[in-house]
Amino acid sequence: MTFDWSVVWQHRDALIAGTATTILLTVATMAIAVPCGIAVAILRLYGWAPVRALAAAYVEFFRNLPLILVVFWAFYVLPILTGLGLPPLATGLAALALNVTAYNAETFRAGINSIRRGQVEAAMALGMNRVQALRRVVVPQALRRILPVLASTWVSLFKDTSLVSVIAVTELAYVAMQIRAQSFRVLEMLTAMAAIYWLLGYPQAKLVDWIQRRFAVTE
Amino acid sequence: MDFDFSVVTDHWRFLASGVGITLLLSVVSGLTSLVAGLVVALLRLYGPRPLRLVVVLYIDSMRAIPVLVVLVWSFFALPILTGLTMPPFVAALVGLTVHLAAYAAEIVRAGIESVRPGQTRAALALGMSRAQIVRRIILPQAIVRMLPAFGSLLSITIKDTAIASVIAVPELMRQSETLAGQSFQPIEVYTFAMLVYFVILFPVTRGVDMFYQRVAHLGRS
Repeated sequence: MTFDWSVVWQHRDALIAGTATTILLTVATMAIAVPCGIAVAILRLYGWAPVRALAAAYVEFFRNLPLILVVFWAFYVLPILTGLGLPPLATGLAALALNVTAYNAETFRAGINSIRRGQVEAAMALGMNRVQALRRVVVPQALRRILPVLASTWVSLFKDTSLVSVIAVTELAYVAMQIRAQSFRVLEMLTAMAAIYWLLGYPQAKLVDWIQRRFAVTE
Repeated sequence: MDFDFSVVTDHWRFLASGVGITLLLSVVSGLTSLVAGLVVALLRLYGPRPLRLVVVLYIDSMRAIPVLVVLVWSFFALPILTGLTMPPFVAALVGLTVHLAAYAAEIVRAGIESVRPGQTRAALALGMSRAQIVRRIILPQAIVRMLPAFGSLLSITIKDTAIASVIAVPELMRQSETLAGQSFQPIEVYTFAMLVYFVILFPVTRGVDMFYQRVAHLGRS
């Protein structure tokens, strides 16, 4: 058994580009999924009854599906639905955003619900209206409780971006597996891929632990 | 746009065999990661110090590496390293267990640590040994408190088995890909697969929640 690790260094440019796409996908998905998650959570909590039911159905549906299936589904259905030939990156982004929005919506809903009713009632007794009570009493506290959950969703999302490799989005996993197929250095490339994910993911996982300790709720 | 779902009904046996493999892989890897996770958690909490550091490194590494990477690595790279070729199902079982055991271990640890240390001290004062305390005081309460987290881990396990399609395990996702490719009707096939996964997963998440509501009082102290 001889290993030739130079193959990793030879393809460094492709690997760096793939890593950049992975990071871009993570950031872009979160940038879409946070506002959309807030919107869905508000619709689910305060919307008109049919809208509430629709929002709940959306959240439950996407939380109970394997992401890889959503990715394939988006790849075949989105072009027909929109009539546009979307590039793989946009399709992957859409699938990830659909999935993470559902999780975020649930997180925001739980955060808002975790603030006791009495606080809103007290705020209204002090003369605030509903919107003021929400903005000045509920949201600042809910944010503190939501942050640790959002942080772990972030790490899950970072790892889940690897799944869009199945529709040929040129992110890290896809690039590494392409090089593997061309160079036949299977062990070297797969180990390099795992190592790059580890190097990026490990500090993030540790940061999540720190955020969870820092923002732990004590009542 | 007209859809023809006869492709699904015509090949129901082919898809049903995929559902069977999905369920089998979910149950087996769920059980193996549960057992492995319990061992890992006990090592992390009560093991000798150097071993504890190794276990922490393992757990945090699995939180950092995507399950796809673990699966692909155990199917393609592990045989080169060990000279042992594994059939896809076994490789998927190994990969999923290695990945999910870390999560299971964190759940077990959180459950055990949620039992107040005062109870351990009280049990020590009553003359119990450490093993007795874990078995008779801590675990009976901790296990009930772990239930909701294990419920979501089970649904994560079922969802992660779909990723095993990448290493050609003939489970539902893989069978759907094959059928979609051969029939040129990906929309019908994948939409049907979505419904099947939802029908499997939704009762699991709901069922665990309902069961926990009934037994939650057992975990209070």
